[in-house]
Amino acid sequence: MMRELRFALYAIKKNIQSSAELRTSFLMNIIGMTINNTAFIILWVFFVQSVGVIGGWTAMDIVALQGITAVTYGLVFSFGAGIKKLPDYVASGTFDRFMLSPKNILVRVATSSFGASGVGDIVFGVVCLIIYGIISHISMAQILLLLILVILATLLFFAVAITIYSASFLFTDASFVVNGLFELFLTPSLFHGGAFQGATRAFFMFVIPALLVGTIPVEIIKNLSMGKLAIVTVFTFIWLIIAIKVFNWAVRRYESSNLMTFGG
Amino acid sequence: MKEIRLARKIIKTLVKDRIQYPARLFADTASIVARCGILLLLYSYVFGLNNGVIKGTTFVVVAWSMFFYFSFSTLGLSRIARYIMQDIISGHIEVLFSKPIFYLSYRAWWQIGVGAYPFVVTTILGSTALIFTVGVPETMATSLFYLTFLLTFVGAVIVSLFVYTIVGLLAFWVEDITPVHWIIDKAVMILGGSYLPIALFPDFMYKISLYSPFGASVFVTHTVYESWATVWYKLIGIQMAWVLVLGIIVYLMFSKAVKNVSVNGG
Repeated sequence: MMRELRFALYAIKKNIQSSAELRTSFLMNIIGMTINNTAFIILWVFFVQSVGVIGGWTAMDIVALQGITAVTYGLVFSFGAGIKKLPDYVASGTFDRFMLSPKNILVRVATSSFGASGVGDIVFGVVCLIIYGIISHISMAQILLLLILVILATLLFFAVAITIYSASFLFTDASFVVNGLFELFLTPSLFHGGAFQGATRAFFMFVIPALLVGTIPVEIIKNLSMGKLAIVTVFTFIWLIIAIKVFNWAVRRYESSNLMTFGG
Repeated sequence: MKEIRLARKIIKTLVKDRIQYPARLFADTASIVARCGILLLLYSYVFGLNNGVIKGTTFVVVAWSMFFYFSFSTLGLSRIARYIMQDIISGHIEVLFSKPIFYLSYRAWWQIGVGAYPFVVTTILGSTALIFTVGVPETMATSLFYLTFLLTFVGAVIVSLFVYTIVGLLAFWVEDITPVHWIIDKAVMILGGSYLPIALFPDFMYKISLYSPFGASVFVTHTVYESWATVWYKLIGIQMAWVLVLGIIVYLMFSKAVKNVSVNGG
């Protein structure tokens, strides 16, 4: 386990160094993504101004929601950007090199690439959370809770991403299918949490766990709800187990396309 | 005539190609369901809380307006920028320049061809779903709507292609245009009335949406509102003005960009 972790950290370090070599592109990606994310804040803040407070959600809660989602997305798709490339690896036969590696396949795939734009998401998310913390005067207990929830949400996001991208092994034209499925998970996680009620809320918590990434954590921090914290924790671990099992099962269905691809 | 034949051939070939890949259609449909479908669910809840009317607009009008945005986005015209960038980065542009066709019109027809099939299918499916779930607003039952909608739609396609062609042509100078593409995309998303329908825009934002090319590139979202009957000629006029201005910018940028290309052979 520790060896795998050391290897992952080493791979991430090398990926960052490689990405940072193209300095202008690296910085433009980070700045561009930060500006890009601001669009969602603008939209939802105007939404709140137009329709008023819904389900107890204020403009600051939206800032927190965007912050948590951006940080989790950024952490997963900057350091683990290889997951996103899984459909290409499978379709091109590049996946062969991961099968031949003595390292853990999932760790090797996830850390095979670094997404510079993900750093922009992290920067944006952290700024949002700082603004939320200052304006909402959150207590030390809430800050601690926020840190725990960011870790849980990141693990959950990572697990769901693995599960969805594992579908790459099941279809010939997989990139379109997995991107469509991923959209179904990501989009609701960025939406105004107060507007999800009743059956819609249950669906996006327990079937597609989009609300467990941002909406529920924001409500936990606001209301210090330990019951919801337990739900997020339990479902994070359930999804982690599902993700590993689905990935291992899907890998067994891989058929090499026999392309001569080495290294990288 | 030659241009029309080329366009017809490109569109026909690409539509046939897209029909062969149902997974791509699934992706487009999933994207519409994820964004538009969930948004409509949320807005129906929000309108329900406000007795069915917000800022003088009903849910049925807002639903169609937002649907027009997402349906239009399945045409994928914004991707022209990425294709141009890929041509430049890969050097493939040299090959395309040597063909007896105008590069930019080839790319534009290609983009329309790629998006035509998913656009038609998702629009038919989505419209049918909307008719049976939320109904049709009165504003869509007039002949003015259909005539002006068609005009605005064509104008929106041209403005969109010009806006994203300009972004793509930037790759001649900055190479990686991805961050610029994100920002322009989001400007279109905000000002086009996607997540926040234009009826709910604050005044200053509505004005920016009217007079910027980003809003003009999705004016189809304005056509369902009651105000359309009195402002349609103004909006179509603005669109035409942008077609002219952006067309000149594209022409100037492309003329300058062509001089930057160095053919290395190989």
